[in-house]
Amino acid sequence: MLCDKCGKRTATTHIHANIGGVTREMNLCSYCASVMGYGAVFGGLNGLVGSLLEEQHAAQNQDAKRCPQCGAAFSEIAESGKLGCAACYETFAEELAPSLQRMHGRTKHVGRTPYIRRPADERAERLNRLKSQLAEAVAAEAFEKAASLRDEIKALEQAGGKGLDGESTAPADSGRGTLPEGGEEHV
Amino acid sequence: MCKWYEEEGREADGVVSTRVRLARNLRDLPFPTRMTAENRQELNRRVCEALERPMAEAGLPLNRVEMDSLSDMQAMAMVERHCISPEFAREREGRLLLISENESVSIMLGEEDHIRIQALLPGLALDEAYTMAGSIDKLLSESLDIAFDKRLGYLTACPTNLGTGLRASVMLHLPAIESRSAMGAITNMVSKIGLTVRGMYGEGSGTKASLYQLSNQVTLGISEEAALSNLKSITGQILQRERAARKALDPDKLADMVWRSLGLLCTARILSGEEFMGLISAVRLGTYMGIIRTDPAAVARLLVDCQPAMLQLSAAGPENPLPMEAAQRDKVRAAHVRKILGVAICSQ
Repeated sequence: MLCDKCGKRTATTHIHANIGGVTREMNLCSYCASVMGYGAVFGGLNGLVGSLLEEQHAAQNQDAKRCPQCGAAFSEIAESGKLGCAACYETFAEELAPSLQRMHGRTKHVGRTPYIRRPADERAERLNRLKSQLAEAVAAEAFEKAASLRDEIKALEQAGGKGLDGESTAPADSGRGTLPEGGEEHV
Repeated sequence: MCKWYEEEGREADGVVSTRVRLARNLRDLPFPTRMTAENRQELNRRVCEALERPMAEAGLPLNRVEMDSLSDMQAMAMVERHCISPEFAREREGRLLLISENESVSIMLGEEDHIRIQALLPGLALDEAYTMAGSIDKLLSESLDIAFDKRLGYLTACPTNLGTGLRASVMLHLPAIESRSAMGAITNMVSKIGLTVRGMYGEGSGTKASLYQLSNQVTLGISEEAALSNLKSITGQILQRERAARKALDPDKLADMVWRSLGLLCTARILSGEEFMGLISAVRLGTYMGIIRTDPAAVARLLVDCQPAMLQLSAAGPENPLPMEAAQRDKVRAAHVRKILGVAICSQ
């Protein structure tokens, strides 16, 4: 029997999968099975066999897709269970998705995001600084200085409103430690 | 300065310590398995630049430990103090450790991921440990481009850490549950809700002295807060069972077992690591059940000080050259335990 997915190699893995309540039967070759996350991609009981098969596959596919940043091939990732670099996640998104689903039960991150200093934040900080300087200048009756500060503030506010640098002044959506909207929690 | 494990924490009768680990990577460098020596230097330089000054200014200065400058024994002793992973001790070339004075915060550079932030506290202290690790994470992301994807979260070398990159664990002391052979049921129960139970030194290590490490497994699709609260609630349930099981023990047999264990520890001339761990577990149980008046801090210190590498380093000298034979080690261990616990037995 040939593999349902590639139609080329002999099917050696028979899978009854329950995906979203629908039971599907599949007959897959060892390579397609591991690519779809049913093999020993990240070290299961058949880790050794899985890695041997992967080696074979790597030898057969010299022209396989490689990560543009680190040069890793999927067969190497499957064998070691480790990715080569951050960009591998994008390069091999399709190959990895089933494994991630099986590993975590979910595929969408919920939780903390890195604190990123955005141009909008810097502008807001500068505006605050200028406004307090303006107040000081007015209080000290340094009107010439106040006028130049006022012009600077105006220019900065206009630039922010028009989004000249591609950033709106809307609050950053990637504040650290926040839960993105619609995030489900696993209990 | 006192090490973190010499202090007593909350729920100390059943929880020895809490650990929170965050895995982080830089976007533009290959992950450690594919890193060159230059990549490693670059990683170390960037992280030191991002962390050292702000941490010192915040009153929590970090010391640099170049791992390849340590002997096998010194590296192993750091594993025994839970400062680093066994993996980090094995391959030390080009690896750097940043560690606080009391060893409560340690940052491993170039382990499985570029950056592994670890916060360790005595007793049950998940929120505090997460806050500590989180504040270091914030410092990092303020000046470094951390590998993050909106959909997949923090990108890690092994996909099992993808998402939050958070591994939180509590080290539990469960002698009464263990004596009822009920650990299997607990392991099964927690695995169904995304948690896992392991031995004392993490993955692949055996259990000793009824010490078990309970930690979260799932990192994608669950927020840090939810993962921590899961762990907290299951820890609470296990503690309840352990306390109930302790109460149900035959008091005469229990007292006999505890006193015999203390007696052996205070008088033995040869103590193997395995025998010591079994006996100290009983003494710990007796201490928290009020059967004996041993200083809990002394018990906590012994648990660390009597591990093979720690013991050899502290006893090394002209008459005790390193590395010691197992027989010599067992003699040194017995002497050390007598010195620390001897006072305890004489005063009761």
